[in-house]
Amino acid sequence: MKRAFLLLRRRAVGSIVVLLIVIVGAFFLLEAAPGDAVDAYVLSIGGGDPALVQSLRESYGLDRSLFARLWLYLTALAQLDLGWSVAFNRPISAVIFERLPNTLWLMGSATALAFSLGTLLGILAGARPRSACDRILSVGSLSLYAIPSFWLGLVLSIVFAVQLRWFPTAGIETIASGKQGLARALDIAWHLVLPVCALGFIYLALFLRMMRAGMAEAWRQDYALAARARGLVRRRIVLRHVARTALLPVVTMLGLQAASMLGGSVVIESVFAIPGFGRLAQEAVALRDAPLLVAIIIVSAVMVMIANLVVDAAYALLDPRVGAAETSA
Amino acid sequence: MTLLIRFLRSPEGVAGLVLLGLLISVALLASVFFPRDPLSIAGPALLPPFQDRAFPLGTDRLGRDVLAGLMHGARASLAVGIAATLVAMVVGALVGTIAGFAGGIVDEALMRIVDAFQIVPGFLLALAFVSVVGASLLVVILAIALGAWTGPARLARAEVLSIRERDYVAAARVIGMHPLEIAIREVLPNALPPVLALGSVIVAGAVLTEAALSFLGLGDPNLVTWGSMIAEGRNVLRTAPFLSIIPGIGLVLTVLGIYLFSEGLGEALARRRIRA
Amino acid sequence: MVQISLSRRALLHSSALVMASAALPRYGFAQAVAKGGRLIVAADSEPRNLNPAIVASNGVFFISSKVIEPLAEASFEGKDGLEPRLATNWEGSSDGLSVTFRLREGVVWHDGTPFTSADVAFSALEVWKKQQNLGRLVFANLQAVDTPDDHTAVFRFSRPTPFQLIRNSLPVVTSVVARHVFEGMDDIAASPANNQLIGTGPFKLAEHKPGEYYRLERNDAYWGEDKPYLDEIVYRVLPDRAAAAGALEAGEIQLAAFSQVPLADLERISKVEGLKVYSKGYEALTYQLAVEINHRRKELADLKVRQAIAHAIDKDFVVKTIFLGYAQSSTGIIPQNAPEFYTSDVPAYPFDPARANALLDEAGYTKGADGKRFSLKLLPAPYFGETRQFGDYLRQALAVIGIDARIVNNDSAAHQKAVYTDHDFDLAVAPTVFRGDPAISTTILVRSGTPAGVPFSNQGGYANTQLDALIDKANETVNVAARTELFRQFQRMVAEDLPLINVAEWGFITVASAKVSNVSNNPRWAVSNWADTALES
Repeated sequence: MKRAFLLLRRRAVGSIVVLLIVIVGAFFLLEAAPGDAVDAYVLSIGGGDPALVQSLRESYGLDRSLFARLWLYLTALAQLDLGWSVAFNRPISAVIFERLPNTLWLMGSATALAFSLGTLLGILAGARPRSACDRILSVGSLSLYAIPSFWLGLVLSIVFAVQLRWFPTAGIETIASGKQGLARALDIAWHLVLPVCALGFIYLALFLRMMRAGMAEAWRQDYALAARARGLVRRRIVLRHVARTALLPVVTMLGLQAASMLGGSVVIESVFAIPGFGRLAQEAVALRDAPLLVAIIIVSAVMVMIANLVVDAAYALLDPRVGAAETSA
Repeated sequence: MTLLIRFLRSPEGVAGLVLLGLLISVALLASVFFPRDPLSIAGPALLPPFQDRAFPLGTDRLGRDVLAGLMHGARASLAVGIAATLVAMVVGALVGTIAGFAGGIVDEALMRIVDAFQIVPGFLLALAFVSVVGASLLVVILAIALGAWTGPARLARAEVLSIRERDYVAAARVIGMHPLEIAIREVLPNALPPVLALGSVIVAGAVLTEAALSFLGLGDPNLVTWGSMIAEGRNVLRTAPFLSIIPGIGLVLTVLGIYLFSEGLGEALARRRIRA
Repeated sequence: MVQISLSRRALLHSSALVMASAALPRYGFAQAVAKGGRLIVAADSEPRNLNPAIVASNGVFFISSKVIEPLAEASFEGKDGLEPRLATNWEGSSDGLSVTFRLREGVVWHDGTPFTSADVAFSALEVWKKQQNLGRLVFANLQAVDTPDDHTAVFRFSRPTPFQLIRNSLPVVTSVVARHVFEGMDDIAASPANNQLIGTGPFKLAEHKPGEYYRLERNDAYWGEDKPYLDEIVYRVLPDRAAAAGALEAGEIQLAAFSQVPLADLERISKVEGLKVYSKGYEALTYQLAVEINHRRKELADLKVRQAIAHAIDKDFVVKTIFLGYAQSSTGIIPQNAPEFYTSDVPAYPFDPARANALLDEAGYTKGADGKRFSLKLLPAPYFGETRQFGDYLRQALAVIGIDARIVNNDSAAHQKAVYTDHDFDLAVAPTVFRGDPAISTTILVRSGTPAGVPFSNQGGYANTQLDALIDKANETVNVAARTELFRQFQRMVAEDLPLINVAEWGFITVASAKVSNVSNNPRWAVSNWADTALES
């Protein structure tokens, strides 16, 4: 337990430096963009004259120097103030935390689906390496992994939403339905089926392959050989020994995939018109809302970090060797 | 040589090789069959496939030949994927090697930058980068590489760290070779094979990322890629689904081919390691 | 107002609709309209500032026009193409120095306060004249608004202002806001009240869930008898255009306006049972497809080169293939469905690549060994699929005459900066809008002297003193016939000198469930108040 705590503390300190790099990098990236928030706004209202443009720039502080703006931003951030969204005319934290749950639901469910089904099929494939079942699952998962998620989303939406009408075409819940409690939860779940499948199936293949590879490795270890020599039932060896060992690296993969999945949800949210974090990022880019985009990048970095920390801590608890190496280093 | 034989023994690898070979020949032959700009308007709009011999795969919204687009698109998609991977590998290998060799504060600083890139979702970064700098071929390549170089960097560093202390490196140091010379002549070649295996996975990812960027309207408008064809076709998805299905199949086959190829390569490498 | 003939295909559509309604007795005879119900509509954007008195744009009107009303609305039948809303009568003095409005009595704001001439005076002087993107131009010389009683407002101008212009711009620039809401604010444009609208319209803004929907509720105290018919209007945010067609077919929404359903899908969707396609209802919102030209490029400063480009564009192909017939080819800078001003008596540039090649040879730009004469940078505006597609087409059309155009795709903000601020373009494709009178948003496209940074204005460096003088004269000519004649001359001069090239003009398409009635019954229907729109349950 203590080792896990020390590990967490060490990681947290390192994380702040990394985060600072992310913030400054994101800030300068947006500075390089042609056109600013005022350009985007004036265009969206169909034109305006120069005096209006100038006064708008002043009111948003866009006329100050680059470093003045960066400094202003960093000091505000230190007080956990993410700033004011130019595009939405609201505090950024309000905009982000309104959208975040939708994305977390999407990602969480997709991860759960991919992880559970993926490892299960992985065990099936890895139980008898090089068997027909293994080959079919392996090539099948590769094909699945090769499908672009937006494409899968489009196809699922046409078949199951527009043609069969089993699921809604888009959105996160029935709009303005006034549903509460369990009814609302069920409604959201019903809306999430297709997007979760589109996102989850891709990653399912990844977990399947990790699991299978891990098991292939485990079969070669001494204890597996010994267990076979002792004449134990194959199913028992698979579940008790081989799969168990192979599961550890797959758990690590959960953390590593968090960033990639967050990126993948951008496109899925666009296909299914889900008002989530990824679509917010797209809107922030289109509306040239620099503070909002920087905040999105920071918040997603923090989320990925937390996911990794949790996975690391879990791993350290499960496998004593990891923490020991870290504390002595 | 033995690596090749081992590679050919894996059915996945062979399937991947065949797929990739087909694709590359399609890409190379595009200009032979269709010397004209694939974006030029060649016939009536929205002609379905298998109806007109002049346009075997039909035409799109503006009357552009789908087959010409498909073949030229193969070239563009593969070129973008390979170029982005090369950039990512070179940058990553360089950073990783420097970090591994220099150690200390340089290593620490470089690895924190790697961390920073790794915790930002790569697609989000590419999205922001392209929309900031403007969509052109080079920018798209750089944007994809931006999210892909951290893998090679970590791998290169780990390899350097493990190889650094080995005998032949120590021997080179004793005979007075410059550290840079050691890095280039002794360490890099040994670290290369696993980096190459990683490379093919990055190519596949890059092809998919390019498609997703084009799908969101952030590709180079003067080029046909499969992603841009799907995005074009999306607007008429219900009326002319073939416009998105055809390039979609091309995309899946390409990525599948690359994965199968890397699978075969990985197996061959693993067997070599076991023997070694 | 004459109903425009969009195209044969569009006409076929509307006549099919007429036959359909004659064949079904419930549409022909049912006098009593269905009341109540919730209409779900697709919306493709969420404007940051929802106040139509400040932001006179179609994206804002689409939602806010149901809540906040103008003095008058466009109409197919009414005199001068207008129908009363908050004003019941309007009259201009012969010297062009004043306009008198009689206002509707018995109107109350959504918060219960009575509507009076003080609200109109405040809106005109403090909001339209000072804050509004278009009002700043139309009301530039507005000096005072007298309010002799609660229901009369007299606008006084410091210089002669054509009544024709004021009248034509009434539906667009005169959305009235409540004085008691905004008075005393330092910065009206930044007020939160711009998103919590208080109006006099048939619907009240009840709720906005960002990224998901806007919900409008029936205003029980509305002045129109029995109206509105609907209980609720919900705007469902579907930023992706391809999603609207699917949602309509699945019955999740009942109406999609502004061509949210892609044109290529219309033929298929018109056959879907229970859905109707309307091409009417956008006559006063004509969009024009124009090629903007940067005259700073020496090649493009040559009239022969501009004429060659005009001859290289096959307008027929543009209308048939890009707009699938839901458009009309342009003859000049004023569209054909502004019959008050339009003249066809202008130089024409028929599609003729041979002629274009000859013109370019004459101008001295001969083809090089690679078949190219020179290269250009082409920036298609990103706002519509059609503007981007036309960009793709134009690149190919120019290749035929030896001009190598490279397309640069930008998003909205970057396009605006590149074209209208930095002038970093050679050719640009713009969807300009004709708003009822050329002086509102058309003359600015060619007049010189607009500073950099103003979108949809002449930023191509074109300067023609004769044309400028003509525009200025029209702006002060009070006599309707004389002013109209000046704008006919204006069209001829533009077509002769080609400061920009007009290619096509189009209205949008509405697709609605057959259960929705009174759709597209005025020339600005999508952005009108929908008080008489009904939904059969």
